[in-house]
This record gives sequence, C-alpha cells and structure tokens, in this order.
Amino acid sequence: MTRFLARRLLLALIVVFLVTVVTFVILHLLPGGPARGVLGVKATQAQIDAFNRAEGFDQSIPLQYWDYLVRLVHGDLGTSYTLNTDVSTLLGERLPKTLLLTATSTLLGILVALPLGVWQAVRRGRASDVVTTGLAFVLYATPVFFLSLVLIILFAQVLPIFPAQAAQGDDIASLLSQPASLVLPVLAGTGVTAVAYSRYMRSSTVDNLAEDYVRTARAKGTPERTILWRHVWPNSLTSVVSMIGYSVPVVFSGSLVVESMFNYPGVGLLFWTAARNADFPVLLGVVLVIAVTTVLGSLLADVVQLLIDPRVRVPGVKS
Amino acid sequence: MRRGLGRLAAVVCCLLLAACAGGRARHGGSNTVSFALPPSATPNWILPLAIPGYTASYNGVIQSALFVPLYAYDGSSGAVGMDQQASAANPPVYAADGKSVTITLKPLTWSDGAPVTSEDVQFYLDLIRAAKDDWGAYTKGLMPDNVTGFHIVDDHTFTLTLDKTYNPGWFTANQLTLITPLPRQAWAHDPDPRKTFDYLVAQAKNLGGYNTDPLWKVVDGPYALESFSPTGQVTLAKNPSYTGQDGSHLDKITFLTFTSSAAEYNVLLAGGVDYGYVPTTNLGQRPKLESMGYKVQPWNGWSITYIPYNFNNPALGKAFQQLYLRQAIQHAVDQKAISQVIWRGTASPGYGPVPQDNDPTFLSPQQKTNPYPFDLDTSRRLLSDHGWRPDPDGILACREPDECGPGIAAGTRLSMTLLTESGSDETDGTMQELKSELSKVGIELRINAQPLNTVLANGTTCEPTSPACAWQLSYFGTQGSWYFPAYPSGEQLFATDAGVNFGNYRDKPTDDLINASTLATSPQSMVDYSARLAQQLPVIWMPNPPYQVSAIDASLHGVVQDPMAGLQPQRWYR
Repeated sequence: MTRFLARRLLLALIVVFLVTVVTFVILHLLPGGPARGVLGVKATQAQIDAFNRAEGFDQSIPLQYWDYLVRLVHGDLGTSYTLNTDVSTLLGERLPKTLLLTATSTLLGILVALPLGVWQAVRRGRASDVVTTGLAFVLYATPVFFLSLVLIILFAQVLPIFPAQAAQGDDIASLLSQPASLVLPVLAGTGVTAVAYSRYMRSSTVDNLAEDYVRTARAKGTPERTILWRHVWPNSLTSVVSMIGYSVPVVFSGSLVVESMFNYPGVGLLFWTAARNADFPVLLGVVLVIAVTTVLGSLLADVVQLLIDPRVRVPGVKS
Repeated sequence: MRRGLGRLAAVVCCLLLAACAGGRARHGGSNTVSFALPPSATPNWILPLAIPGYTASYNGVIQSALFVPLYAYDGSSGAVGMDQQASAANPPVYAADGKSVTITLKPLTWSDGAPVTSEDVQFYLDLIRAAKDDWGAYTKGLMPDNVTGFHIVDDHTFTLTLDKTYNPGWFTANQLTLITPLPRQAWAHDPDPRKTFDYLVAQAKNLGGYNTDPLWKVVDGPYALESFSPTGQVTLAKNPSYTGQDGSHLDKITFLTFTSSAAEYNVLLAGGVDYGYVPTTNLGQRPKLESMGYKVQPWNGWSITYIPYNFNNPALGKAFQQLYLRQAIQHAVDQKAISQVIWRGTASPGYGPVPQDNDPTFLSPQQKTNPYPFDLDTSRRLLSDHGWRPDPDGILACREPDECGPGIAAGTRLSMTLLTESGSDETDGTMQELKSELSKVGIELRINAQPLNTVLANGTTCEPTSPACAWQLSYFGTQGSWYFPAYPSGEQLFATDAGVNFGNYRDKPTDDLINASTLATSPQSMVDYSARLAQQLPVIWMPNPPYQVSAIDASLHGVVQDPMAGLQPQRWYR
C-alpha cells in the first residue's frame, strides 16, 4: 500500500507540475499582457512599462515561470493585482466559504441520493420509480443557473422567504450569522448533486440485484432487507465512491455558476473576477488548488475503493 | 429507511424555519441606503491620491464622500458646473494676467479636530510633485508641472503660480479638481514627501487595514468609513465631526458588490437593493419594477463612444487616412436603429468629440446636426467616385489607385477586422448591425470579439512596422468609450501623440484647437474643435450607451444622476 501511495503521489506531483506549466504558459501567451487591463485605459506607456518590469513581464516566459516556481516552493502564490492581497490569504478567506457551500451541498446530495437510488432500484419499473426517475431526469437536464433562477424567483421574489444572495463578509462567521442566506445556494447545489448520484446509485443497485450472489442469498432464505443492506448496498457503493472522490475538486474550487447566481463570495467567484480583471496570480493560485484537489480526490477515491472492495487488486498492493 | 427520510425531512423543516426567522431585507424604510456597484466592481482604494490601476469611478465616489476635493463639478442640472457645496474651497480668483490663481478654503475641520488649512493643499501638491510618475492622474506638462509656485497667504488662503496663462475654465475644471486637501498633521509620515507618498500608497494597498488603520479615521467629508471588506462591500456612516455645508441626511450608505448584472437584478427584484441597476435586456420588466416602488431612470454619462481607426496599420492605415473613406463608413452607421432597437432607447446618438446629450455649451451645430447621416447610397457613391470597384465576392477593391488616394495600392480590398469587447448582447448586436450595413456598401467587417482587457491591450498606439500594429479597428464602448472630466477637451484623446490617441490620429488644425481650448479664455475654440472632429472623423462615432439604467427606491429623495458619475449620497433623504 505504501509503495502504491508513493507512486500515486509522485504521479500527482508530476500532474500538478504539468498543469502549472500549461496554465502559466497559456496565460502569459495572451496577447498584450495584463498591464492595460489592470492599469486602465488612461495609463501611460511609461506606467505600463513600469508595471511590466515590476511584475517580470519583460523577461522570457521560461524565466518568469522559474521565478514563479521558486516563489511557489517557498509558499508564495503572489499578490492579487486588483485586491492588493496575497493570493494565499485570499484563498484562505474564500476556501472555507466555498467548503461550507459545496461540502454541505455534496453531503446533503449524497444523503438524499443514496437512499433514493436504492429505493428506486428496489421499485424498478413501478409507477413510483418511473415518476421519480422522470423527475430526476428533468432536474438532471436543468442547467444550474436555471435551477438557481427558479429557486430565487420562487423563494426570494414570489414567496419572500429567503434572501436572493448570500451574506457578504470577510469570514465564514458572517455567512453563518445569516443561515437563511445559505439555504438557496445550498439547495441549488444539493439538487444537482443529488440527481447525479441517485442515477448512479440506482443503476449500480439494479445491476447488483441481478447478480448471482443475490439469487444465492435469496435461495438460502436470507431476508430481503439483509440482502439489500448487507450485500447489495456495499457493492453498489463502490462506483459511487469513485464519483464522490472525483467531486472533491468541485468542493474546493466551488461552483462558479451557483456562486455567481447567488453572489456567494467563494473561490469560484474569486476565479471569475480574476479572469475578468486579468489577475494572473489569482488565476494561477485557483488553478493550482483545483489541480491539487483533483489529483488528491482521484487518489482518495482509488484508496477508498481499494479498502471497501476486495475485488479490486493493484499490483504490489495487498487489499 | 422511512425513519431516515423522516429525520431528513425534519432537518430540512428546521432549516426552513430558521431561515424564515432570519427574514430578509426590503428596500426602503430605513435611514440606511444600499447602493449596487457595477458588476465585478470591487472598491480597492480610498486614498484620494490614486496610482494607476486604482482610478475607477467607484473608488472616486467613496473617496469624495470621505475627503472633500478642492473643487467638485456636477452635471446633473443639465449644465456641467462647479458644485460649490461639495468643494473644499470658494471659487478661485485668477490674476488679471492669468498666471496665478488665489484660492480660499472653506472652514472645514478634520475629524481629529484640526482645521483644513492651506498647508494641507500644499501637502498634496508636494506629494504628487515628488512622485508624479507614480500618480495616476499625471500627464507630462500638466498638474503638477504647470504649478511653479505655492504661496501661503494665510491658514485658509493660498496662491498658485502657473507656468503660463491658461483658460481659467479649463484649469479649474480639469486641473484644480485633481487636488484634494489631505490631513498633513496625521499623514506626514516623513519629512521627505516621496517617502510619505510611498508610505501612504503602501497603507492604501493594505485593504485589510482599512477598518483599523488610524490613517483612514481622519476625514473631512460628510461620511466616515464604518467598514471595508476586501471582498468589496463598503459601509460609510455619517461623519459626526463634519463642519461643512453639505452634511449627510442618511445615517449610512452601503456599497454592495455583485458578480454579475444578473445576480444584482435578482437581488433588486427581491427588494434587497435601494439604488441598483437594470440590465438593458431586462428593461421589458420596467412596469414590474415600478410596481415594486422603484423609479427606473437611465443615467447618461459625460462621455463619448467611438471606434478608433488605426491610421498606422500597414494594410489599411493609408486607406483610413482618406477622409472620403471615413465619411463613407460613417454614412453606413445607423445610429438611430442602434440606439432605439439594440439599446432599447437608452443610448444616445453621438456625432462628435463632445458629449452631446447633456450640457450643450461646447456642442457645435455641425456635431449636433450630424454631418454624415445614415445614407448607404451616399456611402456607395463616395467609394465608387474614388476608384473602388467590387470584386466578384462583392467586396470593394481599389482599381484606380490615383483616385483611391496616396499610398493605397491597386487591389487593396476594403476588408477590415474590428476588435471588439465580448460579453454584452448590446455590443454584439451593434457590431452585427454595423457589419450588415457595411456589407451593403461593399466593405467586409470581420468581428473579433475578445475580453475588454484584451481589446485595450491590443488596440493601442503602435508604430507601423511593429507587429502590435496589426489591429485595424477597436471598440471598447459598452459602457461608453471615454468619460471626461468637467471640461471635455481632447488633449488626451485626439492630440498628436496623446496618451489615449490609440489610432495615431494626426491633424495640425485639431492640435491647434486643442491647445487653444486649454489656453484661451473663450469657449469658441471648444465649439470649433467639436465642429472639426465631427467633420474630420478621427474615429467612427457611435451611439453613446448610458452609464447605467438605474432603479431607485421611490421613497429615496434628493437623488440626481450626475453625468460625471458622482453620487453625492449626503443629499439623499427619505
């Protein structure tokens, strides 16, 4: 297991390195550079030249990347051009908020999706399954922005129950001080997550219910409840676990659409604003977070699958 | 499982009840006003001494609420003039020879109890003189280069000596408005003004320190900073120490930030904003907003909108230098249709270099009446009369080089690329309309939509031999291309080698008129400038979009929408 983890971690490092190279090069190949966008239309050429010198844009791209890498190794992600704040500080402020939103949505989504998927699988083909599956497909096909808009119109405008935007503030306490403002963004995120996972869970459970081991258990007189929860449930979970692992990056990087629709001050929004303002250090910082969490999420999913599914065998690893 | 689902339902119900107990804000009804900042706008500077990159108008609004500028201007009455209530000094008195100006400060007081004195003005001038290259408003030869002496007469009176005789109207409106008295007693960190400038800039860059740094507690404006979030939300509270004549009626004003105009509009419809804006695509919902107690009003800017030609472009620069070609293109711009249909009546046609839907003081009859109205037949005739004939694909090519103009080779085709900003339905529609009309006269317009930053970075001044000169036309006017200071002269836009003369337009008579407008006392040179550039077409004149279409809580009174983007929230009341 240790060798497996070491190998995967090494691979993860290489992937993250390549992501930073590609992102850095693409950003720095953008024609014109960020100076005019950052300094504004009235900036003089001398001021633009001074900005380019100060930020190292007058050097070759490999040299700029090397500087970036050296700073990165020392934990320096740079300073935002427009927010005058260290990128690490910005991420430190925004990540907890995004985690609150996306982790809550994901958790609620899983709590709804897994039992729902099993319930639908057990009632496969019956009216209740057809109706819930149909509704799930409708929700699955609904773009997040539209779902968010419907929630805002229904619960903030027509029935003025919840605020249409998240609470604003520097830290997570400001969000928690107004829990009502979290309801709609969490609901939007939950809706999307729940239908996606429930589809997988239903499909996986249906497949498992048709397996020989289920027939054998039934032949031996094992109660249906025991078959379902002791045998089918763990086997069905394995494929969903992978999906949950792959959703880890979203948990950290935030849902851009949900954050944008609900004016939620998270990482997704930070990325969006940085993209609009050509704020390269912030863009690179957020991409780095996404890259790291993507490879770690993938690794986590593999490890968990290895632990819960004895059928999975990796060369050199004892399950 | 049933028990589990029941528990989940109970949790959701609890959450709903908790949420209901939280309630939500409705517009109106208190002495606090919430104001929506433009999409993605994040205030990031409160020091009234901006460096490049921090000169956004929303920063200026917050600064002027905290620190009273020496002179403020306002255009909400229909004429752009000095706003004496919002100014720190009485109107300036120019010497008979025009080479000096004497200014008397009003009896304002800093919130630490010290009076606002002549030395506070000198402090500002010393700072910008010591670090002029880093000052965001610096233009070589102008402030502070043009102030050669500062003489303190007494605590409240001082005289500035100027390097030459200027047009007093221009000097007051475009130069003295750049000055803001600063609290020298609290901010003079070092005897060396350069070190003090650097210190203040460093403190101003620390957004996290705005709430606690004692520097920002010393203000002389109608408001004091109550809270400043690095995410952008800013709350100003009435300054209890304010001693001027323009005190706030409101207790607080909160500036709200939004990710997008859609997010802002959702909150507006939910009643969470007192003073917001309506995306033009949603203007069809005006009756609904009015039924909710909002007044919907376009906010026109003191601005112009245009598409610069790149006169240095190797392929088409010579063609652009021909007035007849520019006339033909201008004749193909259907400003009325663009304003009425695409902008839903919120944009105003623009035919020249002076804002023409506000103060008409400098507007020439030529600009006002549009010398080149939409007329495709005239456009076609102008081109055919000058040797342009259609190729088999319908695009015009120069077949009579002698008639086309000097430097235009035979076979040159009128196929041009327009670099335009992306992300706006209205701009997309405008560009498609322009493309369509130009195609009818045989000009191919290829539209290259890019983010605004890319357009600004690429459509800039260049030498003909430089690869950066590949751009031919550029558009960055979704919210207006250029916002003027009080005096709408063209020294930054159309003077030879001016900083924002992106297309490298050169015209000696224009330079002379611009010089005259800044030096001569008569406004005639400005009117002549308006007439010349309306006729000479240094750019394609385009309809001028509004700064925004506002939705204002009907119970909020005293609101005037200043074309110069000033707010003056201290005059609002319920």
